[in-house]
Amino acid sequence: MTGNSRETFGQPLHNFTPWLEAAVPLFSFGGAFLAILSEWQGILLDFHIPALGCVLASFILAYLAWIRPKKDIVALSTPIYSFIFFIVPTDFSTGVLLQVLYAVSLTLLLVRLKYRFGRPGTAALLGKELGGSLKTYVEETRDALSGTSHEVAHNAALVFVRFAEGNYEDAAQSAKTALFGEKAGDQVSPLMRAFGIIREHSTLLDTSQPRPLTYLTFSEKDSPLLAKPRLPVHDPETEFYAALDNALLLVFSAAWNASEPDRPHLLACQAFAQKLFT
Amino acid sequence: MKIGNVDVKVSIVAIAVFVIFSIFLFFASVFSPDVRSQLIWLIPGLFMLLVIPIALNYMSRSQYADIAPVYEAQAKTLRIKLINESMVGKPVRVEGVVERVHFQILNRPQYIVADRSGAISVKMFTSPDEDVKVNDIVEVIGQVIRRYIVTGDPVINCVSIRKIKNS
Repeated sequence: MTGNSRETFGQPLHNFTPWLEAAVPLFSFGGAFLAILSEWQGILLDFHIPALGCVLASFILAYLAWIRPKKDIVALSTPIYSFIFFIVPTDFSTGVLLQVLYAVSLTLLLVRLKYRFGRPGTAALLGKELGGSLKTYVEETRDALSGTSHEVAHNAALVFVRFAEGNYEDAAQSAKTALFGEKAGDQVSPLMRAFGIIREHSTLLDTSQPRPLTYLTFSEKDSPLLAKPRLPVHDPETEFYAALDNALLLVFSAAWNASEPDRPHLLACQAFAQKLFT
Repeated sequence: MKIGNVDVKVSIVAIAVFVIFSIFLFFASVFSPDVRSQLIWLIPGLFMLLVIPIALNYMSRSQYADIAPVYEAQAKTLRIKLINESMVGKPVRVEGVVERVHFQILNRPQYIVADRSGAISVKMFTSPDEDVKVNDIVEVIGQVIRRYIVTGDPVINCVSIRKIKNS
């Protein structure tokens, strides 16, 4: 099944990450250790052989930085430094001390990367498959949205993508088209309410207007379909913006589940959809 | 310092460089006759260390002053949470509290501005009109860009930052 193949895609890469993280200090300190050992034993070893450990470790660190959603420019540029320090011929002796210091720096950068630049793998996978809370939500709402027509689902994709791009006038227009397209002979479904909410917010955003005193929200019976539960405390501002987040996520799910050709466009906006859960 | 309508600000780094090289030149000219004979081009060279940053600041600030009204007219007021990668190139306006300020002494300030929905980096490539500090409530107008031009998270390339409320 397509769904299963998508779930497993990228998993080997993700499983491999802890090994790659371990390889950074292992290769860099390993190279330095080899250089020290050869000096002790009095073996004449070409400097480039132990230095290769630092070069390899730099490339691995850069790869680990690349697959994170937040890019660390320092870690990404380490291969350039390794090339300058260890590959480019120089008149100065780049000895064991430089390798040890370089290995320490790479290890510190790896620690910094792990704690400050997000989970590995997410950046590489964001454009290829759904992940995290979004994936769970889309799967949970699949059955409830299974009756959505392809035309409405396509409009849902248009609304979501236009909104994510900041084209609020177009988003409002697409939401209106979806609303009018479904109205005849149909009762107001949660999805239609979502279109209404997005249309209202898009119109306000397009004209940079603040929250109105009265605004559209979901009804109590829509709660099982909503990504963010209704708050027990009545705070108009929180309620107003939570309704928009819920509406956008519901529309995303409808588009994902009922309009497969639009999935690449939805995947391109996945980072925005993930943000809506916060 | 005002040149025409533009309030030019020289960074403390440019002034420090000028002062340090002035001291070097003074002592070098006192002790070395060779240096004294070269003063005719060394002194103008020294002043160029101040003139070039002033000229660059004047040019960037006058350009920002020209484009600020255009952005002001086009920018949509958004919550920070709505800013994402798909909006790269869009003019936006956000209001929030300044949580951090970096690189102010280089005349290239970078702010972390937060509202109730989230926080975002605001980069400015010239000195701002106002001295913005941590905890100031500000209105930022700028364009959404990627942190490293082609990659990285979305940040705001700030055209104008104004205090709405002091800390």
